[in-house]
Amino acid sequence: MEKGKISSLQMAFMMYPTIVATAILGVPSITAKYAKTDLWLSPILASLIGYATVYIAYKLHKLYPKQTVIQFSEQIIGRIPGKILGFLFLFFYIPITGQILRSYGEYIVDSFLVKTPISVVMASMILLCAFIVRGGIEVLGRAAQLFVPVFIIPILLLIILLGPDLEFKNIFPILGNGIMPPIKGSIVPGGWFSEFFLMIFLLPFLTDMKKGMKYGMRTVFAVMMTLVVVNLIVLFVLGSTTSTKNYPLMNVSRYISFADFFEHLESAIMAVWIVGAFVKISVFYYAAALGTAQWLNLSDYRPVVWPIGILIVEFSFWSYPSAMDVSRFDIIAFPFYGVLMQTLIPLLLLVIAVVKRNRQRKKGSNSS
Amino acid sequence: MKSVLLLLGISGTTPFLSGCWDRIEITDLAIVTAAAIDKNDNDQIELSVQVFIPSSISSGGGGQGGGSSQGGGAVTTLVRYEKGSNISDALSKLQSKLPRKVFWGHCKIFVFGEKLAKEGIREQLDFLLRHPQPREKANVYVSKGKAKPILESLPPLENYSGEVLRELSDLHIGMLVTMQDLDEMLTGIPQAAALPFVKILPPEKGQTKLQGIPYIAGTAVFKKDKMTGMMTEKETRGLLWLRDEVESYTVTIKPKGVKGEISLSPVSAKVKIIPQIINEKWRLSVKVITDGAVIQNGTNLNLSNPKSLNAAERAYQKDIEKRIKMAFLNTQHKKADILGLGKDFYRKYPKQFNKVDNHWDEIFAEMEVEVDVAAHIRRQGYINKPAGLSEEEVKDK
Repeated sequence: MEKGKISSLQMAFMMYPTIVATAILGVPSITAKYAKTDLWLSPILASLIGYATVYIAYKLHKLYPKQTVIQFSEQIIGRIPGKILGFLFLFFYIPITGQILRSYGEYIVDSFLVKTPISVVMASMILLCAFIVRGGIEVLGRAAQLFVPVFIIPILLLIILLGPDLEFKNIFPILGNGIMPPIKGSIVPGGWFSEFFLMIFLLPFLTDMKKGMKYGMRTVFAVMMTLVVVNLIVLFVLGSTTSTKNYPLMNVSRYISFADFFEHLESAIMAVWIVGAFVKISVFYYAAALGTAQWLNLSDYRPVVWPIGILIVEFSFWSYPSAMDVSRFDIIAFPFYGVLMQTLIPLLLLVIAVVKRNRQRKKGSNSS
Repeated sequence: MKSVLLLLGISGTTPFLSGCWDRIEITDLAIVTAAAIDKNDNDQIELSVQVFIPSSISSGGGGQGGGSSQGGGAVTTLVRYEKGSNISDALSKLQSKLPRKVFWGHCKIFVFGEKLAKEGIREQLDFLLRHPQPREKANVYVSKGKAKPILESLPPLENYSGEVLRELSDLHIGMLVTMQDLDEMLTGIPQAAALPFVKILPPEKGQTKLQGIPYIAGTAVFKKDKMTGMMTEKETRGLLWLRDEVESYTVTIKPKGVKGEISLSPVSAKVKIIPQIINEKWRLSVKVITDGAVIQNGTNLNLSNPKSLNAAERAYQKDIEKRIKMAFLNTQHKKADILGLGKDFYRKYPKQFNKVDNHWDEIFAEMEVEVDVAAHIRRQGYINKPAGLSEEEVKDK
């Protein structure tokens, strides 16, 4: 079905923007709402979900090295329940891709292309993603490898250029209201970290499978560090107003003013951000297309790419009437829905698979 | 065949590249350089915008400098204004009088009229923070009386009056408050804000009426979003000391026992504000380390001599102490925590602060302050004795 191969480094480059791209936009504001000045602690706590998810995904992968979750769930819990679970996964990933697309579109329309219909913004993005998904995992992996460094540089640049405006005192008091606020704040980014389960769709195509776990864990760490740094920058610049902004990173990048002429840089920084969003949507899209083809037992996933693209765009419209609803979904539903589908259910699958395998081994040793 | 289709496909995507719906040529934009927001007697909002006229620079070129327009250079901006129930309403009416689309991205100056400031700026601030174009880094001011004349004035030295205010703010003569600072002051713990207060310097005799220059004449004090009082220029300087914003500053002191004054400039300072709670008593300790260079010595003290230097330094120290205490008492008197001390206390004593959160104003008003100044005179310029005095007249003390 997919004959391409990627290296585990390429997988890391694909997973990094998959989490970070949308997380750096919304997470600072959401965590600030609950954790106040301790918002930088929340990603550290939330990353535990990421580590757990990578561990579960890798263990499942080791039990069924050549298969994705859609295929091996049939083997673990039987054909019919497996199909049902597979459908649930697809019904999770396709609408979620729509949701990501919608939040991308809302952001672009809200801040730059005010008069452009959002359908054009989203459709042109999904068209581009469809091309890369049809190109296969190798194309996707190499594009990610090419784009991610470009995506990281502006964040580093932001730190340097904002130097004079950083108010380090804003970090105090640390844990002024106890440990509960950062824990509450970590629930929402936890949903983002659970997206690491997408690795299960990439692991079967690794050339160096043994390194999969190592690179997965490293990616979680890199994402955690990025979110901590971004949260801190936002806190240092915006202080107590962080939670009132919809896109705090945007406000922060607008704040750059260096020597009176080096300013108004936000469009350059955000143009590069779109590259990250592009990789993110492509990875989700790829997982949805590959999963659907496997669920239907097709011989190739390429024929379903276009129909799923249309579905994704439709879902992005059907599911949410407004930008407020998109972010409400992110805060209220997704942390629990995402963790349930991507961390807890896989954990359950893993437990069943391990128990089953042990029993089989026992049976085997008994009968011999 | 395939390559032809591919080529067609690629060229088919080009319309998407330009972002055609939002294509705006720069010649279609009315670039706002400064905006003033007033409230008139009918409780309507008056929005005035100072719009840059591009042709005034491109066509005029070097010719305008020595041109016929006496005194002030050619007019580079125009001011339009319109009434409405709020900013956006006024703006939409204003747009119908401007052939180009109003663009806020380069507006660095927002001035609130005094009446609006006294009745609350929150409603109008919402527009400025919500709209994607106005910038967080823009400076915010309050004007004496109406704000519109400030935009209308034609300063001789700068291209337009907005630029004057911005340059003055950059010199740190008064407070420099950006929109982000204002938002933070109002939403954060202190619930009080301070904005630079702008007046118009009346034109000299014989000059045209519009040639007044706006300047910063103190500080407007806000409680919540309403202006409740103001501080004079002198008090504002004390405030700058407390906020550690002292820059290019001149201090004039009068040493004890001698005639005349000594001036120090530039003066640099490091100010540390240390909140303390000792035995349930809230107090503030201010530690200042300040350095200065002598720029004028009107006394007969020989500053090369350690004894007289010491006397001068003591006077310097007393002077700074007095300034800071006065500014602090002044803010206490107004019961508005414009220094953001609540934040400092919260940072150090979050638990105790949360208990008094709702009557912080009263605690602030009764707080004791202890000022500790270490003042040093480091240099004395090109001459080492007071000028114009003979050897005998110079006092070595």
